[in-house]
Parts: sequence; C-alpha cells; structure tokens
Amino acid sequence: MSVLHNLDRIEQEALLDITQKQTLEELDQVRVALIGKKGSLTQILRSMNTLTVEERPKVGKRANEVQRTIEGALAEKKEELAAKELEQRISQSALDITLPGRRQAHGARHVISQIVREIESIFIGLGYTVETGPYVETEYYNFTSLNAPQDHPSRSPRDTFYIEDLTESCDEKSAFSAHLVSDVLLRTQTSPVQMRVMEAQEPPIYMLSPGRVFRPDTPDANHLPQFTQIEGLVVDKGITFADLKGTLDHMTRALFGQDRKTRYRPHFFPFTEPSCEVDVSCGVCGGNGCRFCNHTGWLEILGAGMVDPNVLAYAKIDADVYSGFAFGIGAERVAALRYNLPDLRLLTTGDMRFLKQFS
Amino acid sequence: MRVSLEWLKTLVDTQGRSPEDIAKNLVCTGTEVEGIEKVGEALEHVVVGYVETCEPHPDSDHMHVTSVNVGEHNVDEDGKPQPLQIVCGAPNITAGIKVLVAMVGAMLPGDFKIKKAKLRGVSSVGMICSARELGVGKKHDGIMVLPDDTPLGMAAAEFLGTGDAILTCEVTPNRPDCLNMVGFAREVAATLNSDLLGSERIDADKNNPSVTHEIAPATNTYINVQLADEGERCMRYIARVLTDCEVKESPAWLQERIEAAGTRPINNIVDVTNYVLYLVGQPLHAFDLDKLKKLAGSDNPCLVVRPARDGEKLTTLDGEERTLTPDNTLICVAASSQESDLDKSIPVALAGVMGGANSEIDENTTNVVLESAAFTPSFTSRTSRDLNLISESSIRFERGVDANGCARAAEIASALLETCASAHIAQTPIDCYPNPQEPLVIDLSTAHTCALAGIAIPTNFMVERLQKLGCKILAQKEANENRKGLQDVKTTILSVQVPTYRPDLTREIDLVEEVVRLWGMEKIEAHIPAAKDHAGGYTTDQVWQERIKETLETAAISETISYTFASPDDLALVGEHDENIVPVRLLSPLSQEEGFLRQSLIPGLLKAIAYNLAHGVEDVSLYEQDRVFFAHKGEKQPEEPTYLSTVLCGQRQADTWDEHVTPLSFYDAKGALEDVFASLHIHKYRFKPVDADDFKWLFPGRAAQVVVNKKIIGWVGEIHPLTLKRFDIEKPVIAFELNQDELLAAATARVKFREISPYPTIDMDLAIVVDEEKSYAQCLNQIRRSAGKYLKDVRLFDVYRDENRLGKDKKSMAFSLTFSGGDRTLTQDEVDKSMEVLVEKIKQSLQAEVRA
Repeated sequence: MSVLHNLDRIEQEALLDITQKQTLEELDQVRVALIGKKGSLTQILRSMNTLTVEERPKVGKRANEVQRTIEGALAEKKEELAAKELEQRISQSALDITLPGRRQAHGARHVISQIVREIESIFIGLGYTVETGPYVETEYYNFTSLNAPQDHPSRSPRDTFYIEDLTESCDEKSAFSAHLVSDVLLRTQTSPVQMRVMEAQEPPIYMLSPGRVFRPDTPDANHLPQFTQIEGLVVDKGITFADLKGTLDHMTRALFGQDRKTRYRPHFFPFTEPSCEVDVSCGVCGGNGCRFCNHTGWLEILGAGMVDPNVLAYAKIDADVYSGFAFGIGAERVAALRYNLPDLRLLTTGDMRFLKQFS
Repeated sequence: MRVSLEWLKTLVDTQGRSPEDIAKNLVCTGTEVEGIEKVGEALEHVVVGYVETCEPHPDSDHMHVTSVNVGEHNVDEDGKPQPLQIVCGAPNITAGIKVLVAMVGAMLPGDFKIKKAKLRGVSSVGMICSARELGVGKKHDGIMVLPDDTPLGMAAAEFLGTGDAILTCEVTPNRPDCLNMVGFAREVAATLNSDLLGSERIDADKNNPSVTHEIAPATNTYINVQLADEGERCMRYIARVLTDCEVKESPAWLQERIEAAGTRPINNIVDVTNYVLYLVGQPLHAFDLDKLKKLAGSDNPCLVVRPARDGEKLTTLDGEERTLTPDNTLICVAASSQESDLDKSIPVALAGVMGGANSEIDENTTNVVLESAAFTPSFTSRTSRDLNLISESSIRFERGVDANGCARAAEIASALLETCASAHIAQTPIDCYPNPQEPLVIDLSTAHTCALAGIAIPTNFMVERLQKLGCKILAQKEANENRKGLQDVKTTILSVQVPTYRPDLTREIDLVEEVVRLWGMEKIEAHIPAAKDHAGGYTTDQVWQERIKETLETAAISETISYTFASPDDLALVGEHDENIVPVRLLSPLSQEEGFLRQSLIPGLLKAIAYNLAHGVEDVSLYEQDRVFFAHKGEKQPEEPTYLSTVLCGQRQADTWDEHVTPLSFYDAKGALEDVFASLHIHKYRFKPVDADDFKWLFPGRAAQVVVNKKIIGWVGEIHPLTLKRFDIEKPVIAFELNQDELLAAATARVKFREISPYPTIDMDLAIVVDEEKSYAQCLNQIRRSAGKYLKDVRLFDVYRDENRLGKDKKSMAFSLTFSGGDRTLTQDEVDKSMEVLVEKIKQSLQAEVRA
C-alpha cells in the first residue's frame, strides 16, 4: 500500500509546509506543487488507472480526503495571509492628511457685480424686472424729461460728459448744450432707462435699472469718473410714500442686516416730490455714533422720492390716476461701506489680489 | 449757511430747546445740519483772575510780570489760593483789575495751546487774554478788563455767557428762502410749530429799523436807472442814494452778527450790506457815487442793466480782469439815460455776482448808491459758473431772490447807515419793477395729500403749518376727490396763497411735500406694495449673461471692470475699422488719454495685466462684460453692443505639491470659449484661421476668428509681442473678444434628450503619423468620412513629435474611435472590417503612416 502511504506522507508534509508559508506567493507555490497540473497529489489522482481494482476505491477515497484537507488548509492559510498582507499594506499606506487638498481654481465675480446682483435679487423677489438702456444718452432723456431745469448745474460740462453730436440738429436749447453744440452725453444716472421704459410700457411698472453712469470727476480715493448706480421705479395705482418706505426698509435690511434701522430725511431732487434721503444705522457702532459714521450714528445710502407729476407727464402717464416712487443707490457706496474700502480706485485696476478676495 | 442761535432766538421762539434738539428737528424736516459749533465751549482752563501785583519786566520795555490770583484754581497745600506768575505784554495791564486768565492746558481758538513758558528769562504759567484771543470779539488793543465784582475763579464760558452755538446748515437748492436769518427763522417756526418773533419785530427792532426821514433832493437828481432787457435778466432794480456818509468801523453788535454768519467786518457801509444779506437774503451792492459820476463824466449819471458785449472786460472787486460774453449781465454807468449815452456805458459791476473795482467803496467815500435788485437765477448761475466766480450774492441770485423783498431790504440798509454812518438819505428811491410778481394761489386737496402720503394727516395740521411757512389760506371748501384711485372721497380744498419768497411752491404737489416733511416721514407707516398684475424676473438674455459669467469663473477667470474711456492709441490698437464707423468723441474729457469711448475691451484688460505684473502678480486671468461704442455719421446715439472679452497670462493657478501646472495657452482661451458655447447650448461654431494682415494685434499663426451659426462674432488668439510691448508686458497673453449680443442671439435653451443605447460599443485606438501641416481638423474629417456608418465618436488623446522616431516635420496623433451598431450589438469582425477600410483610406488621403 505504498500509494496510501505516499498519500499520508503528502498530507503530512503539505500541512506542515502550509503552516510555515509567510506570503501568498509562497503559499501559491505550495498549491501548485501539490494540486497544480503537475502537483504531487494531482499525479497520484491521474495514476489511478495503474492501480488494481481492489486498491482503487481505497486510494481514491483517501486521495479525495487528502485533497480536501490540503485545500482546506490552503484556504485557511490564504485567508490568514491575505488578512496579514492587507494589515501590512494598510499600516504602510497612511497619508499625510495635512497636505493641501486638490482644489480647482475658480475666478471671482467683481464685487460691484455681486452687489448689483444681490440688489437685483432682492427686487426680483418683490416682482420687479431688470431693465437696461444706452450709456450714451440725449439730454432729453437724461435731464429734460426728468424735470431738471434748463439751467440746472448738473447739466453743465463740469458735471456731465458731453459727446460730439454727429447730426446737424441739436434738439435741446439749454444754455450748456447750446454752448457745446451738443445734446448727446454719457448718462449721469440710470434714470433715462426709467423714462424709456415708461414710454414703452403701460403701468404697472416695477423695475430696476442698474448700470454704469459717468461724471467728470478725476479718480481719487472717493471718486471715480464712472460708477454703478442701481435705480428703481414703481408706477402703479395707489402708490404712496408708505410703499416707498416699506420697499426701501426691506431692501436696506436685506442688504445690511435685519437689525439695521432706517431714517428718512426730506431732501430735494428735481425728479421726485416729496423727496428724501435714506440713512441706515451705522453697523460699526450700532447707531451710537463713531468715527465711521462721523459721530451721527447714521450712514447715508439712498436718494428716493415720489415720482414728480411732471416726469409722469413727460412719459404721457396720467398723474391723476397713477403715482409712483423712485430711488437710487450707488453700488460703489455699498461696497465702500460694507468692506470699508480705503480707495475706490481698487475697483477699476483689475488687481488680482483685490478681485480674488471676493470669490 | 451758518446760523447763529443767539441771532435766531431774536427772530423765532425756540422754546428753550438745545442746539442739538433744534438741529435734529431741522434734519428731520429737510435741512441738513453738518455741524454745531459752540462758541466759548473750547474755553476750558480759562478763568477770572485778579491781578495782585504788576511789575515791569526786568529785560523788556513793554512787558510786565504779574501775579494773578485765580482763586481755587491754584492753591497751596492748605487750600489757600496761590497767585500765578504771568508775563503780560498788553498796554492796559495794571494791578488791581479782574482779567480772564488762560491757565496751562487751555486751548485757545486757532489751536493755540497754553504751556509753561519763559519770556525773556522770566517764567510764565498762563496768559492774560484779549477778547480776540478768546475768540469772543474782535478787540485786540489790550486785555479784557472785567467789572470789579466779577467772582474770582469763575469759568470764562460762564462769565462770557455767550453760549452761542453756530449751526452749519446745508440748504437744498430749492429753498433760497432759508439762506437768510428771517427765512430760516420761519422754517424753524414751521418745524417746531412755534412763533416767529422777527417778522413782526423786524420793523421795530433797533437792529432792523426803518428810515425815519428822507431828505431832499430826490434820488433821481443824483442817479437814474435803465433796464435794457425788459425784465428777462433783471426783474427789479432799486437804487437809493446816501450822501455824506462817514466810512468807519461798524458798531460791535453788527460786527458780531456778520462774523457769526462767516464774514469779516470791513467798514460800516460794506458791513451793513452784508448784514442785510444775511438778515433777509437780499444781496445789496454799494457804489461810490462820485466814482460813478467821474466814470460817466456827468453829474447825473444813469445806471444801466444790460448784456455784456462779446469780449467786454471788467475788473471785479477781487482784482481779476474778466472777459465777458453777451450771456453775462452788466451794471454800467452812462452819462445820461439818452440812447447815445447808453451806447457808451461803462461796466461797473457784474450783475448779481460781484462789483467792479472801479466804483468800489473806500475810506474816502462819502456818497453811496445802494443797489437792491432781483436778477434772474438762470443768467446769474451761468455767469457764476462760466467765470468760476461764486459769491454770497451769486449763491442767492441763482437760487432766486424775492423781487418783492428788494424795497424793504434797501430800506433797512439805508436806515442802518443813517444811524451808523450818519448818512443822509435821498428822497424817493428809484424802483424799476416792470412786471411786479403776484403771489400764486394753489388749491390743495387734503384727501389727495393723504392719499400720496399714505397716512391720514389732519386738515388743521396742514392749515397751521402752511401758515407758519408764510402761506395764506384764502378759502376752504368741501369737495369730492377722484384722483389717485379715490372715488368720491370727501376732501377739503384749501386755497393757498404762496409767498413770492417761495419760488419752489408752484403746484399742488409742492404743497403736499411741505405737509409731508413737516408731518414727519418717520410717522408714515411702512408697507410693501402689492405689484398686482405685474410679473417680474430676469429675461432669458439676463439669465444667459449670468451663465456666461459663471462659466468663465469656473474656468478660473475673474471678472474685472475697467474704464469706458479710450485714447486714440487704444482705438488704433484693436479692431477692424469700417469707414462708416466713427469713434465716439468726448467734448470735454478729463484728459486726452480718455478722449473717446472704447471700441474694444482689450486695451483696458491689457492695462490690468500690466498693472498686475508690475505689482508682482504673475498669473492673471480676467474677463470683462461691458459696452463698446461705434458711432455713425448722422446718428445721435452710437451702437452700443456688449462685448465679452478675456485675457490670460501665466498659469491658471500656481504649481501645487503634486502638480506642475502648464502655462496658459491658446487652447485655454479656446477651451473657455467652447465652455461658454456649451453653457449656451451653441453647437454650430468653428474657429477659422485668420489673415495676419487683418489682425495686426495678434500673433500670426496663433489666432482665429470665431464663427457661430456661420456668422463671425469675434476672435481668439495670442496677442502680438509688439502690441504687448506697448503695455510693457513681456509674458505671452492670450485673449478673446466676442460680440456678446450676437453670441446670445445664437444661444438656445433647448436641450435634446438622446436615448441611451442598451447595446455595447466597441472602442478602437488609431495612431497615425502625418506631416506637420496637416491640421487636426483635416485628420478628423478624413477619419469621420472614411470609418463607415458604425463610427459614433472620435476622441484625440495624444499628439507627439519626435524627429528621430517619426522623422522631421512629422507628428503622431492618437485617436480613440467608438463604434456602435445603433439598434443591435456590433461584432468585432464588423469593427475590424471598418478599421481596415479606414486605414487604407487615410493612408491615401492624409498620406498617413498608421502605427500599431
């Protein structure tokens, strides 16, 4: 029974061998040597036909037993070694999780665009539309139709950029334009957009007109020759000063914080009556007075008023039926207040170190 | 406008309110108060002292060394007063008088700080003060000597009892009536609902007297007046003649008043005209009558108000020679009122703005012509602005001076000069008033007022406050209001007569404003309107515009804003120039460098890159979305398309610990553009090589035109090194510029869903070696054309060059080809067959060598 004996020896040696292997690779070599194509056990199984009829069942039975035992031992050892190897791999693959993450670079929105967008969103929420118009306007839309007197100082070339008139006819006869022979200018406010919308649309009108405006100021820390105004206009039946207050209170709080207070001071503008300036309580001192607010507790942020009936008349809207209010706020002013900007020129240089701060 | 509260209190009952309280009420009713300056408040450490001894200074012939008892302010250890040693140089110092002493630590007006000092070797701990040094008067001929019974040690502020406060007010341009004390008092009365003292008292007040006796001969025997313009430039002109004036210093009360208002006293005649200006807001001008006579060469000259002749000259009081235009108005003097003489009239004053030097009052003046006139606002404002000459007079005329107040102002001034200059006043002043101003009567509906205010305001409030403002309620009647959405609402119509000193009140709405501001905007309850029957929201274009911004920001490009202005160089730099397009030119630019409006955003963006590089910032990716301007002859307003432009320089981001970032190239700009197209669902676009001659600002061979839906809408490319040099930029810059309006026109919101095939696709790789000049697009076209109907997608995944392995001027391109059977599973055989055909075809068409 040398075959059976042989099987016993294979089993014994195999089990010992398996327990001694340290890596999956070594273990696999054992597997191949035993039960691979040319493995010792495989060869016994293949040589069954050389045995006698009596031997065959016994050897066969024993050979299968040995094979199962070895396979079981291999599987067990494999699991053990795999666990060990995983453990080892894990213990060797710790990351320095303090290294910086892989971030995608992003561009930043200009802070003025952000403020314009923020204010637009507030008014979109109140059912407004956002309207635009030309930067190069006529004196009629920028001044006359907005009830600015013919000799109003704001029409002077010191306060308005006039532009070469490429037509033969200058419609306006204000002293300033006559002097310059032009009634074409860079808009000094976005109100001309309001006039154009009033001409084109029937009330109710609830609109915002944000955009670039121009005034001949040499750039310095507090002035830019071009800045961004956000004006609003409402024309509807039954609009009152209370509506103006409610709307601007809402905007001020949405923009500066729910805890901020507003103050309405009567003022004068040619295109509105009654007119007012709106202050928001100082966010630095909470309204007690500090250097930031010039010790008044208030920061001026808005001009507003009820649309003057003359302006409605220019737009051919019946002032006996409709009333409205209008307001204007400067995006640069909001930026300067919110971020305490030391110099407005930062806004136009394209300095990446400035722009990136607002991403 | 500087308002002395002491003065104000003589005109209106301020109800014992503090300056701060009055200021707060003014602010809430529309008068901005910029500051409250308290006279005497600064006089801390200034006290009443007694000069115990006074000895001559050992080393000076005019100074004295004194010992001054300041009571409890300087005591020894036992609490006994210790006199201070003070050196004093005043001529009237002597022992035994009470004086005001500024002790060490006092801060006198003009930021003059009192410190311990040594004067010619003698130490001095304080200063004995004159009135001027304390800022409480103008006397400086010696120290202030106080009454003997003044309590020792009393604070100066308490002794002086001035306590006057000056409010610095900003009066809005529609309120000329508030630019004088009487008008301001009226505003305060309306604001506080208190009583005016002044308007009744003005006539009786010693400071605002009436002329008691005029004496012969009549004014017109000295002077005549002609208005050459029928009231267009001058609504009213009053001339009074005062003879035998004694030019001297004004009385102290008058000096104090005008100083409080902010003007330096000069002499009694000038001071009186200034006083009346501040009191009632009527600018007055005093001419030296004898100088006028001499200029006119006549004993009975005639003043004429007329337009200046073109180029006519006048030297104004400030010594400047002014060259005038017919838009300026002159007061001239002529020998007589005869036409022939009027033609030869000589300018003596710039109407409403400033007098001429040739007829100025001086110390030798004895006879005066006093002008009290009402010049029209528009002419005065233009003259003032054109000549850059602003005076207290022009400020008031350009806002509007009440023609009905001229006579009273002239009378107050004359009466004051009667007392303080011993003037004799000629009878019957001359008064040219061709079209007397009548007060307007305006109907005010109370219901309409409340409907606009959004709050119920009682009728009696309106009546009361309008009366305080000087309005008269002529009648009240009941009616129905149907305006502003009201339907037959009961209203009271107030018939309001508006005083002529309120030129801003001409319509009902003007009265509504008065009522609302006096009622208090604070008291109006806020609410948000309904916006009924109105739909808001962004338009599609606005949504897309925002999407473009987001897309570029995702590509690590930041938004900037640059100036809309352009120099001629900027205009020449970028862009194709159509003959019919004219640049938009500013008539009065801030500088020649900003003389035009831009036609491209690129120059501004290049300046931003240069700025960054100059400040050590090496990686710059910027975009701008704004208007450019193209004018056409014969059209008032230019075309203003919105452009979208980007410049890229350096790296998208700095190298990181595990990634070396390649510098930004043409393909980053192109990629950003392709991202923009994708975000707008634009699929029909291509990049077309450009002719270098047409794009001189671009690097030849590294530039393309951008074609969307067969329309050229812009370009992309590397900026030419010579162009960059003009901006001192030495690194490559890649840019694109598109007409965003045209881009948005091609955008579509529609996304088409495609069925996801359940059948597997087969990917094959293809590497070809071609001549360098074969473009990717050519290769791609040939592959697409030759691969048969199963080819679904082609992706380029590698391009490389290697002279040794591939040969000179050759490149290898590797593509990944995806095949799909559409509605069935494709077999490998079918794909292999397609590949075989493809390889054969492109070997021919591209002269390509196919690598395994």
